[in-house]
Amino acid sequence: MRSRWERLGLRARVALLFALGGLLLSVMISVVTLTFTRQTLLEQREDAALESFNFNARTVQEQLTEESDAVAIRDLIESLSTPRGEFPLLRVDDLWDGRNTTRFNQDRVPDGLVSFVEAGNAATIRAEIDGVPAVISGIRLNNNTRDADYYEALLLDDVESTLSSLGTVVVGASAITTMLAAAIGVWAARRALSPVSEVRLAAESLAAGELDTRLDMPADHDLASLASSFNGMATSLEDRIERDARFASEVSHELRSPLMTLSASVEVLNNSRDALPERSRQALTLLNDDLTRFTQLVEDLLEISRFDVGTASLQVDSLNLVEFVRQAIEHSSRPDTMLTASHDVEELVIAADKRRLAQVIANLIQNADKYGEGDIDVLISTADDMVLLAVEDEGPGIPEEERSVIFDRFSRGSAGGRSGYDTGTGLGLSLVAEHIGLHGGTVWCEDRPDGRPGARFVVAIPVGDEVLEELE
Amino acid sequence: MRLAGISPDRIPGVAPIGAENLAASCTMGSRILTVEDDERIRTSVRLALEDEGYDVVEAESGEDALLAFGQDPADVVLIDIMLPGMDGFEVCRAIRKISDVPIVMVTARADTHDVVAGLEAGADDYLTKPHAPKELSARIRALLRRVRPTEPGARQLVFGDLEIIPDEGVVRVAAEEVHLTKTEFRLLVELASNAGRVFSREVLLERVWGYGYFGDGRLVDVHIRRLRTKIEPDPANPRHVVTVRGLGYKLQA
Repeated sequence: MRSRWERLGLRARVALLFALGGLLLSVMISVVTLTFTRQTLLEQREDAALESFNFNARTVQEQLTEESDAVAIRDLIESLSTPRGEFPLLRVDDLWDGRNTTRFNQDRVPDGLVSFVEAGNAATIRAEIDGVPAVISGIRLNNNTRDADYYEALLLDDVESTLSSLGTVVVGASAITTMLAAAIGVWAARRALSPVSEVRLAAESLAAGELDTRLDMPADHDLASLASSFNGMATSLEDRIERDARFASEVSHELRSPLMTLSASVEVLNNSRDALPERSRQALTLLNDDLTRFTQLVEDLLEISRFDVGTASLQVDSLNLVEFVRQAIEHSSRPDTMLTASHDVEELVIAADKRRLAQVIANLIQNADKYGEGDIDVLISTADDMVLLAVEDEGPGIPEEERSVIFDRFSRGSAGGRSGYDTGTGLGLSLVAEHIGLHGGTVWCEDRPDGRPGARFVVAIPVGDEVLEELE
Repeated sequence: MRLAGISPDRIPGVAPIGAENLAASCTMGSRILTVEDDERIRTSVRLALEDEGYDVVEAESGEDALLAFGQDPADVVLIDIMLPGMDGFEVCRAIRKISDVPIVMVTARADTHDVVAGLEAGADDYLTKPHAPKELSARIRALLRRVRPTEPGARQLVFGDLEIIPDEGVVRVAAEEVHLTKTEFRLLVELASNAGRVFSREVLLERVWGYGYFGDGRLVDVHIRRLRTKIEPDPANPRHVVTVRGLGYKLQA
């Protein structure tokens, strides 16, 4: 079973890999950048904080005297220089006081630091105050007159905000890098895979019947070998299809001579039909019927093999459509077919192959006669620069699911053989489709627009104004 | 007297031929030369044509056919194009050199160049294989019809230097007699019967060849071309037999 990854398609996979690579790289660079910047910034601030702390600690030690009361201590604290917004905090005996005791007071000083300092040491630690990273330093003041410690905190909120805006920039840059990588991936994949899409297009055109499709030889020798094996395949396919088609054509062709003999000999028998015994007459009737059918089958097979071999060509003439259809109906198996032409087509002259168009009309009427019931109607109208020719019957209609296959060779649908002895060749409708296709038109089957039961076959062919002008 | 068994039945592509043309004297006893290398086809076609009242002479090769024709000219010649040795086109050209007899080519297919090549070699009509014998005899009858001028009184039709005497089958250009085949002559008389009027290919197909609406227009085109080479001083710029674009042909002085 193919994994989900494989199902994505080569181009998408390459693009995704490029995007992932870009993302990984940019994330790595971002992390390193952010970490390094943070480290550097913090160290700088710490150095500065320590300098200020040492200076202030010395000042406090010098100025703190036996007589210093709470007011004097407050003045002392206020006099300290705090260039970066450091927060001084002084403990004298049991009295704690600071510059801004709401942000930095004794409770904010970690207990570990307090006991460490009270033990006579000096220390600097990193801690968080109200979620803001801070550097807190503390020292035991060696002032014999008073029992005092000095603390100072530096809140690093500006570092955080610098880092966070830097982070935003880095994330944005990462996103752009990732998208750029993905775009490069798409481009690279398309470039790398362009020979593949050429092969795809060529294969599609082969499948569509353009058997002479070949790939150009690329300079790259990896691709050249692909192209040459593709072309080899196409050539052998073309040969084979042509051989098959030619075979059908040759077989039909070879059948013409014996058919000629048969047809002339049967005619001789027909001429003396009355002199024959009853049983022989019956046999002659069978012979006549099947000879007609056989001849038609060979004719149809030859006709259709010309499309397969590719030798079918239009013999275009200008013709008065309505008059032509009227004549075709008269020569058809149902000369009583009703012809209705919309007003705008009455004098319409179109460019078409008379022989093929006559066969189209004859086959559609024969089809309606055989599989439909009741009256047959032929309607002519125009739509844009197409002529629409519809043949309607009053039979059971064609089931929806059979409408696309009914034009296949030897497909007679569920109605086939309904009328007992089937005289059709099974090629009538596929010939209609081929003839119409050669004219650049289409044929389809649908319900009758008036809602009554029955089939409606519609042929649409271009009027061929340019061709008509050329014929003039 | 009407000939039995050749009632103009519904044959696709073949128009019924008027009763006046079915006069037995017209076809009875006419000699048909069939050139066909397949013995079975030759025999069966002979049998069928004999049933219709024709005398049939068989030839299995082009050389035989020319020999037989030289000894005793036929009224209609039927030539298969695919012949060993001398092919149908050559036979057709060789006969055309010595006779204006109606020639029907038998080709394998209607949509090939063979048809035009056969008509240009001098054939009057063509049939594809296989065809019903009825179709064949209908073609033969059409070719054997006598030329009927539409105005019985008209003894001579003159268009500038072009002079036609329908009853005698004579055509003169600048007082010099020109030799036309029977079909070319019939085509010219048809156009001359109503000079200045435009005849569509369909009308000409019906009147000259007896085809209905679905006849092959190339019959008309090639015959017009052949006619021009014979009666026009400059066939590339015709003065008498003029093409009317999109409509057909007309004859003028």
